[in-house]
Amino acid sequence: MSPEDTHLQDRTFRMAFNPLAEKGIPIERQFRNWSELTGHTYNTNDVHPYTRCRVILMNGIEVEAIVNSHNAARRIADTGIKQMLALVRKAEQQQQKAVNWLIPGSESTIANTIGYEQVAVDLTSWIARHEPDPYLNQVYEFGVLEDYDHLYRYANLMDLMGERRKAEEITGDLTEILPGRPTIFHHRHPHDELRRPMTVEASNFQSILNALTVVSAEQQTMNYYMNVGNRPEDPMARALYCEIAMVEEQHVSHYESILDPTTPELLNLALHEYNECWLYWSCMQTEPDPRIRQVWELHLAMEIEHLRLACEMMKEVDRIDPEEIFPRDGVSEPMTFEPNKRYVRDVLARTLDLTAYDSEFVPVGDLPDDHRFFGYQNTVNAGGVPSEEVIRRHREETGGEYRVATEGEHPNASLRESGTCEETPYAKVEQEHLENA
Amino acid sequence: MTGNDEKHEGVRRTMDKAGDVVGGMVGRMTASTAGSTRADEFVKSAAIGDLYEIAAARLALRRSRTDEVRAAATKMIADHTTSTHHLRSALRMNSTRGLPAPPLEMDERRKTMIDHLKAAPDDKFDKTYVDQQVLAHKETVDLMTGFREHGDSPQLRSLAAGTAPVVQRHLAHMERLRARLA
Repeated sequence: MSPEDTHLQDRTFRMAFNPLAEKGIPIERQFRNWSELTGHTYNTNDVHPYTRCRVILMNGIEVEAIVNSHNAARRIADTGIKQMLALVRKAEQQQQKAVNWLIPGSESTIANTIGYEQVAVDLTSWIARHEPDPYLNQVYEFGVLEDYDHLYRYANLMDLMGERRKAEEITGDLTEILPGRPTIFHHRHPHDELRRPMTVEASNFQSILNALTVVSAEQQTMNYYMNVGNRPEDPMARALYCEIAMVEEQHVSHYESILDPTTPELLNLALHEYNECWLYWSCMQTEPDPRIRQVWELHLAMEIEHLRLACEMMKEVDRIDPEEIFPRDGVSEPMTFEPNKRYVRDVLARTLDLTAYDSEFVPVGDLPDDHRFFGYQNTVNAGGVPSEEVIRRHREETGGEYRVATEGEHPNASLRESGTCEETPYAKVEQEHLENA
Repeated sequence: MTGNDEKHEGVRRTMDKAGDVVGGMVGRMTASTAGSTRADEFVKSAAIGDLYEIAAARLALRRSRTDEVRAAATKMIADHTTSTHHLRSALRMNSTRGLPAPPLEMDERRKTMIDHLKAAPDDKFDKTYVDQQVLAHKETVDLMTGFREHGDSPQLRSLAAGTAPVVQRHLAHMERLRARLA
């Protein structure tokens, strides 16, 4: 890549960014050789936690770009569109390699897992805080407490696995590690993961970017755990990954159900490309590592071209004018990885006992006695629950639980002394349900 | 029951059924006009439709002795609870701000239908329930398909688009069930 391909640097370090007004790298000049794709890694011992988070996030964004392109290609007969999809998809594939191969082989699976959950907590928190729609905000707040608990369960597992590091060395002092909504209670009937979709026509544009971002991140988390969860030898580790992997699929259903299902294929593609531009711009704005910032900048220049191609095709085939869809002045705020400790504590204090009933979020105590939640819980939790077992085992082996609390005691009394579920509203409701059955 | 009582009972049932049919026609007219275009009317009609379906189905679960009818009623409770929830969620989004909250009680027309259902003798309950279901679902199909095409709220058009195929399948099922019970 030549210096003129990174011409965006000066013009994009500013408050607003309109990718439609920029010139990207022509697609024919985007393909790289193997050493360009796999040469660099970060140092797992001294990488900034949020640099790791950006790498994990953008890998997920590229995976979604590729999966979306493949799905579109399977449903489109137009050869010209398929060729455009294939061309851009090849570049996205290379981008995915360049990003994901920044993660060194020396970073263990469990350490990388801690990174994934830090992404989930601090990405979803930022998105929730920047979500203008009250219903969609609630969707994000519901999910974040579950990923927060996953971080805590995996951190306890990491402590038992003989890793040379503790989870807080991965997360820094940026994200607390405390029980959230206990994972045992995340297991819901599939119908209760389906939310009310927004409409592209009536939604704030930020809502669309938010949803595409979080769907991609959760999908990649689901992919990761469903593929690497069988790598540990310890049965409890394998079981915990299995349990949490199932929840991550639920999260994909939960977040993808807020997307507008009637979005035409080429508009969907253009929205994806715009989202990638926003996120690479965001990464560039906030990245302290100069070498990795260059990757973000280069990829941004590529995505600008991908967006142009998608918009051109959308206008030609579907007669949808990008100016009718995308904000005239672009986007003004970068997605920023930053601490959300007080925000998450507030969500914990307000909404710990919520569960889902179709598209609504209700206190678990308000569920009818015959609700499908209880039957599903009884089925999957019969015989022991890995996310509870990992805490018990940590207590047995070390005399306590692994937590990192920098802002005071746990905001919820039922989880202050113990991360197992006995004192939570959920457990009490389930006990009453059993007694009344 | 004496012969006269039976005759009066038969006349009452006939009038109840006629009342349901007329009510159904009025309902379809409303669903096809204001309910198909105006968001506030759509919300009211959709909410009341769900309330009626759930109440009628609960009655059916208590009184019907036919497995097929009970299975249909169970599905009505589940599906119309889902549509109730989606309506509530839709009304919490920015794009529907300002619309009135959905009613929490049925209108007089649907209350009367429930009264007719309660008054149906045991051996006529299933037929009464399924006849009402066909009428009610024709009205809901008109409402949902109409608003999907002509409604003045994108979010509620989306809701109608998601619900229309479900209630169309309900109607088809109830029509087949009515034919089997006949």
